[in-house]
Amino acid sequence: MNSLLLQTIYHDFPVLGLPPVPSTSRTSFAEFSVRERMREKLKAARVRIFFFMQSEDESRQMQEDESQMSSRVKFRDSVKKLKQKSHVQTDFPSAEEAYNFFTFNFDLEPENMKDETKSKKKSESNQEEEEGKEQESIELLPPHPPHGEDCLVNDREDLFIMDQMACDFLVVKPADYKSYSERLQKEREILFTPSILTVPMSQKVPENMQPRYLEDEGLYTGERPIVSLSNQNILENRMLRQEWFGDDGKLLALPSPIKQSSTRPPIFSLEEGIEPELETLYRKAMKPMHANQYIVGSGDPQGQFQLDIDISGLIFTHHPCFSREHVLAAKLAQLYDQYLARRQQNLTKLLTDKLHALRNAVQSSLDNSGTNFKFIHIYIYRQTRRLRDAEQEKDRTLLKTIIKVWKEMKSLRDFQKFTNTPMKLYLRKEEVDQRSDKKIYEAEIQAEINELLEEYMEEYEKKMEEYKTELQEWKSWKKAQTKKKKKIKQSQDQEEEEAENSEYGEEPVKPIPPKLADSLEVEQQVREKAINIRRKPGEPVLIPELSLTESVTPNDLCPRAEVLRREDVKKRSVFLKILFNTKEVSRTITRQISSDFRVHFGQIFNLKIFNWPESLKLQIYETVGFSSTNLLAEMFIPVPETTVLTGRARTEEIEFSSNQRVMLDHEGVGSGVPFSFEADGSNKITLMTSGKVSNSVSWAIGENGVPLIPLVSQQKTGIPSALKNIDAVASIGTSGLTDMKKLAKWAAETKLDPNDPKNADLMQLIMVATSGDACVPGFFRLEQLQQEFNFALDEELNRSKRFQLLQLRHREVAEFRNYKQVPLLEREITEKLFENYEKRLHERDVIDSKDHLDAHRALVAKYLQKVRESVINRFLTAKHHFLLSDLVNEEEVPSLGNLGLSLFKLAEPKRPLKPRRKERKKVTAQKLSDGDINLLVNIIRAYDIPVRKPVLSKLQQPSRSSRSFNEMFAASPSPQSPTHSIDWTFNQVLVHPFVEVSFQRTVCRTTTAEGPNPNWNEELELPFRAPNGDYSTTSLQSVKDEVFINIFDEVLYDVLEDDCERGSGIHTRIERHWLGSVRIPFSTIYFQTRIDGTFKIDIPPVLLGYSKEKNLGNERGYDSVRSPSEGSYITVFITIEPQLIPGDPVREKFDTQEDEKLLQAAEKYQAECALKFPSRQCLTTVVDINGKTVFITRYIKPLNPPQELLNGHPNNSQAAAELVARYVSLIPFLPDSVSFAGICDLWSTSDQFLDLLAGDEEEHAVLLCNYFLSMGKKAWLIIGNSIPEGTTAYVLTWEQNQYVIWNPSNGRCYGQFDTFCPLQSVGCLISFDNIWFNIQQYDSPVRINFDISKPKFWKSFFSQSLPYPGLSSVQPEELIYQHIDKAAALELQGRIEKILKEKIMEWRPRHLTRWNRYCTSTLRHFLPLLEQFQGKAVEEDHQAELQKQLGDYRVSGFPIHMPFSEVKPLIEAVHSTGVHTIDVSNAEFALAVYVHAYPKNVLSVWIYIASLVRNR
Amino acid sequence: MAAAAATPTVFLLMVNGQIESAQFPEFDELYCKYCFAYGHDWAPTTGLEEGISQITSKNRDAQQALVWNFPIDITFKSTNPSGWPQIVVSVYGPDLFGNDVVRGYGAVHVPFTPGSHRRTIPMFVPESTSKLQKITSWLMGRHPEFTDPKVVAQGEGREGK
Repeated sequence: MNSLLLQTIYHDFPVLGLPPVPSTSRTSFAEFSVRERMREKLKAARVRIFFFMQSEDESRQMQEDESQMSSRVKFRDSVKKLKQKSHVQTDFPSAEEAYNFFTFNFDLEPENMKDETKSKKKSESNQEEEEGKEQESIELLPPHPPHGEDCLVNDREDLFIMDQMACDFLVVKPADYKSYSERLQKEREILFTPSILTVPMSQKVPENMQPRYLEDEGLYTGERPIVSLSNQNILENRMLRQEWFGDDGKLLALPSPIKQSSTRPPIFSLEEGIEPELETLYRKAMKPMHANQYIVGSGDPQGQFQLDIDISGLIFTHHPCFSREHVLAAKLAQLYDQYLARRQQNLTKLLTDKLHALRNAVQSSLDNSGTNFKFIHIYIYRQTRRLRDAEQEKDRTLLKTIIKVWKEMKSLRDFQKFTNTPMKLYLRKEEVDQRSDKKIYEAEIQAEINELLEEYMEEYEKKMEEYKTELQEWKSWKKAQTKKKKKIKQSQDQEEEEAENSEYGEEPVKPIPPKLADSLEVEQQVREKAINIRRKPGEPVLIPELSLTESVTPNDLCPRAEVLRREDVKKRSVFLKILFNTKEVSRTITRQISSDFRVHFGQIFNLKIFNWPESLKLQIYETVGFSSTNLLAEMFIPVPETTVLTGRARTEEIEFSSNQRVMLDHEGVGSGVPFSFEADGSNKITLMTSGKVSNSVSWAIGENGVPLIPLVSQQKTGIPSALKNIDAVASIGTSGLTDMKKLAKWAAETKLDPNDPKNADLMQLIMVATSGDACVPGFFRLEQLQQEFNFALDEELNRSKRFQLLQLRHREVAEFRNYKQVPLLEREITEKLFENYEKRLHERDVIDSKDHLDAHRALVAKYLQKVRESVINRFLTAKHHFLLSDLVNEEEVPSLGNLGLSLFKLAEPKRPLKPRRKERKKVTAQKLSDGDINLLVNIIRAYDIPVRKPVLSKLQQPSRSSRSFNEMFAASPSPQSPTHSIDWTFNQVLVHPFVEVSFQRTVCRTTTAEGPNPNWNEELELPFRAPNGDYSTTSLQSVKDEVFINIFDEVLYDVLEDDCERGSGIHTRIERHWLGSVRIPFSTIYFQTRIDGTFKIDIPPVLLGYSKEKNLGNERGYDSVRSPSEGSYITVFITIEPQLIPGDPVREKFDTQEDEKLLQAAEKYQAECALKFPSRQCLTTVVDINGKTVFITRYIKPLNPPQELLNGHPNNSQAAAELVARYVSLIPFLPDSVSFAGICDLWSTSDQFLDLLAGDEEEHAVLLCNYFLSMGKKAWLIIGNSIPEGTTAYVLTWEQNQYVIWNPSNGRCYGQFDTFCPLQSVGCLISFDNIWFNIQQYDSPVRINFDISKPKFWKSFFSQSLPYPGLSSVQPEELIYQHIDKAAALELQGRIEKILKEKIMEWRPRHLTRWNRYCTSTLRHFLPLLEQFQGKAVEEDHQAELQKQLGDYRVSGFPIHMPFSEVKPLIEAVHSTGVHTIDVSNAEFALAVYVHAYPKNVLSVWIYIASLVRNR
Repeated sequence: MAAAAATPTVFLLMVNGQIESAQFPEFDELYCKYCFAYGHDWAPTTGLEEGISQITSKNRDAQQALVWNFPIDITFKSTNPSGWPQIVVSVYGPDLFGNDVVRGYGAVHVPFTPGSHRRTIPMFVPESTSKLQKITSWLMGRHPEFTDPKVVAQGEGREGK
């Protein structure tokens, strides 16, 4: 009991801040030991003390609690006293209360209080939680007795203190104990235990009421939940006092069906803690994002605008459900409306009044005169009268129609025997005073008659005048006519007829005099009109009045069809949708169509808008029964002006109509269906559903009286952007219009007033649209931000020379490819820098014939240049691609064989003293710089150098000249006649040759050797400088410099004037005489890495003063083919130190039209060949001039040589062959490796070659081979290596049981066993149908077998496994040659001569250049001979002749023969001979040029240059 | 920025420094070469463009750095910052059999701003194309090398396809 009490106390005073007192729970009570119980008691006592101390507060609190309790537990009798007390509650307890309090036994109602607290706890969950905690703490206590003891000790101490302080408070009382029965009794007093007996019905139901059974009333109540009767009874008893019973006297266990609101409203208890995540928060509504672009005042807080749309109702002027009567009624109503409108306007009256006024005015003006005024008045007056008459007539017809329709309606009603509409027309007669009316009427008529008469009179007068003039004219004409007629009568009769006929047409009709208007007639007219349009005099004025008073016949009196119709109408209902900017914003309620086809809505919709209203639309929907709704009609409502505010807006009626076709099976006339009023069905009319919606749209007014209108200015002053432009379109009510062109067209067609401020936006838009600037661009830009990143404008870049230079260098334009140190400042860049480049760009299109002397060649040069450029550009990019092998040096994996070999080598005995050849180290180009590279030229020896001829006396000459050319041709050389001259004594030896090597302007010479077969064995070192210091592979490949190896004869001349001095001194002059030269292009050296061999020296056909020892030539035995190999030879060895790695050919796959299989086979074949003999050339596919891969055999095809060449030697095929070879060799040579630096060989077809007149060995060889084939020879193309060209193409022919090798570039031929043949190795042979690869051990032509039929020696491409597919040739069918243009050749000849002469004079700036004309003419005569005999062996005769003619002169000179391509090489050639360098003061010169033209503009140029020194 | 009126305006770039040390944990007894790679508008005026260092051994300390302290001193003149010089360093050393083998290539731009800078260049060597190649190259002592050490300072041919 104690513990219980404690608990309660604690719970009741949590606010007091009592420390939680540990107390035992009831459950554990029994288990406690006595000692513990003692402790308990002590605690209780301590609490008591507290209790007493706080008694006052306690009591107050108690009272409060009790008062709360009392309100809840009404039915408790036991606490009634307390309840009363609560009413008299005061701040301080009264004496009685105090007494009661102290005497009050708390034990009386612990249960009660507990109940109360419990009930409280239910609502206060947190408190309950505390209790739970406390319970826990209590439960936790027992296991910690020591702690408890500590507490006890402390408590005791406290108690002691308390004892000492206030022992008075201590009351010692015996332990309270109430017997069980007593307690029960007390409990009974307090506690309410509901009985389990059924509650009588009378108690449950309010007084004087009968239980109501809703089930019996037909309401569905549902099944009761099963609850045991006893429980039910307990509940009922318990809740007796509360209104928890239904009307049937039973507990309310189900929701009441008659309750209006829901029986279980959601409980939002503020006390109960709501889960935080479920808590609802109030957030202010946010504006939605403005998705639309037509924002009005975006982001503007006042941007809430409101549009009020009032839809009051809808009237159908026609509806499918209209009966015939309805149709008439609608018509009548319409007419009546019209009538009313007219009456309101009352135009007739107005006009009549005006007429009167005008009449008076006219009268007065007549008096006052002033004709002008009068006329005006009369005019206006008449106009007005006409108008009035028209109006009067309209009024009258309207009235008539109204009456007619009404009559029709009446008859219809009679006919159908029921009335559908409440329409009723009354005609109110307004009686008029008959007499006065008549008077007015008459007066009116009279006035009008008068006026009309007047009018007619006026007209008559006018007409009369006209008539008179016309008559006059006619009379005069008549007179003339009669005169004429007389004349004509005198003339011939025949013409008379014609004349008369012709005159008939022209004869004017005799004018008829105008009639005077008859007054009677006029009167008749006026009266008739008056009857038609005016009320008869005395007739009552009819005023129609439409009323809706007719009673509609009820349903049961109507026929079936009509009833059906009415039913149908009832089923129909209508609603309206409001669409704002084509979006539905709201809709009206659905309303039935009433029997008079009026629908009343009376709804006002307040549209809060953000967007500028573009369109307001109403849609009328009709529903029939339960079926779906269908759209009847749409109508646009104009957006109101900003001045139209709510309250001021007028209700307007907007008509709508629908073109729907509706047919009905009842009385309804349908819509879009013809129907008739007549019985026979005639006179059909078709009506469409139509009607009117009465509505009003206005801008709302805000709370503070501010109209909620978007500012007009906002709309107007927007930036003139596309956004606003669209607004402009929107303002005319067409949204979503994007096609500007159409709009512009429309605007143009409708002729909008451009000055109307309303159209200003639109006009601007149209202007923009039509100007085309604002069009959507028709392109798509990929890198639209590029512009942002450009650091300078394009124009700036173009303007700046520096940028230009950098750009050009970057683009690798030839002139700037390796330009170093682009100047930092603009001004440091000279204009000269660009000159060359610009000149080249400029010249690309302009053909300058000055340089070329020949327009065709100029053209070709340009074309070649273009091809070159395009090809180079193509390959420039390819050059930047690298393979791994380009960047990384990696040892090849040694094959097993190699490995074995190297192992074997290990076993070899070491021979340190035996030197072994070591490969030179190859150097990569990148590391090099100027001065690193030297060209080593080793001049070893020369053979057959021409020897000097002794100066012959004039006397000896004639005997020689008698010899014929033929004799000379075949004859053995004449033995040197031992003539003893002064020279001869000087020159013991025949010749003193030395070699001068020049390369890149560096000149080196050997020592002078002696004799025609000198042996120098000297090494010359020439430095090499790459262009622009760029030692890259590409740059080196494109070096065009040539190594010139010139052989000179060093001649000593005695310059002593007289012999007497000879004894005392030697005075000689050294002269050098050019004997011949060898040219080796650097590119050849570069690609070959070394050149080692004997070369034929180019010796002019005629060397004045020199002759050849011919014994050697004759000693060579193989003369069956006349070997032209007689000549001088030089053996040289050239290499580059250090060794450079030549660039690889460009790896690029070219386009091709070849069969893929063929290409694969070709690749395979080539790979196989390369595996066996890597050094031998094997060609299967080549690149044509368009950069396409072509199979090589396609180039071989018999082609006709020029007929002129064949005609020359009709019988001698050998001679013809030589001539053809010469012709081919005359086509200028242009190595590909120079033009297409290091790229690849481009093979042009023979016709292209002849057109271009330039090509390298391949083109020459192909052409020559094709010529030979067409001449019936067996010919093949040889691909091999030669000196000095390197990889080249020769032609092999089979002639007279011997293979002959032709060098196409100079037209010479060699026997197979000619050791001086420049061809060093043979890689493969190519015919028109096959390729043979040389698989013999040797590749030197001397040592191989050319019999291609032997597969042991030659590996063929097409074989049995891969037969020749019959490849078509790329060559043309036939070559067409132009005829020789001799005149052009002659002209060219003159020009060349002139240029060369100028040049020679230019080269001798310090000397006077005299031209020996006599010698020149001699030389000129001689040159054609040289051409004719191809420069062979005409020497002797010529020399003799020269000697004869120029006996006094010492002549040194020679003819130079060249194919003609440009002038520059000619000049170079002349310059290189050094003829002009002669220092003798009295030297004279002779220069002759001969140009021989061959077909196809192939020109052979001979230049004979000689210097003459007069002998003493 | 010194330029006479007659000669074109140039700016000068003076490079002083040294190749201090290297970290090659696997190798010892290394030496290095350096050279410069620069653009068209650059030209060395004074100093050594290339150099080869002494052979150095590993430090005995924990870091085991290979110290060369090899000086660099060069002056460039240029008209265009494009193609700013890069120092290309390649390191060589003997392999197991005593062959001289490249141990690393690397390049770095000469610093753009004046003052003392310290740069660490990551070094790399080209790999053999196949396992077999690797073995043979190891056996033969001929590892793959760049045809030109300056390749590492260029982009061409290293597009990574």
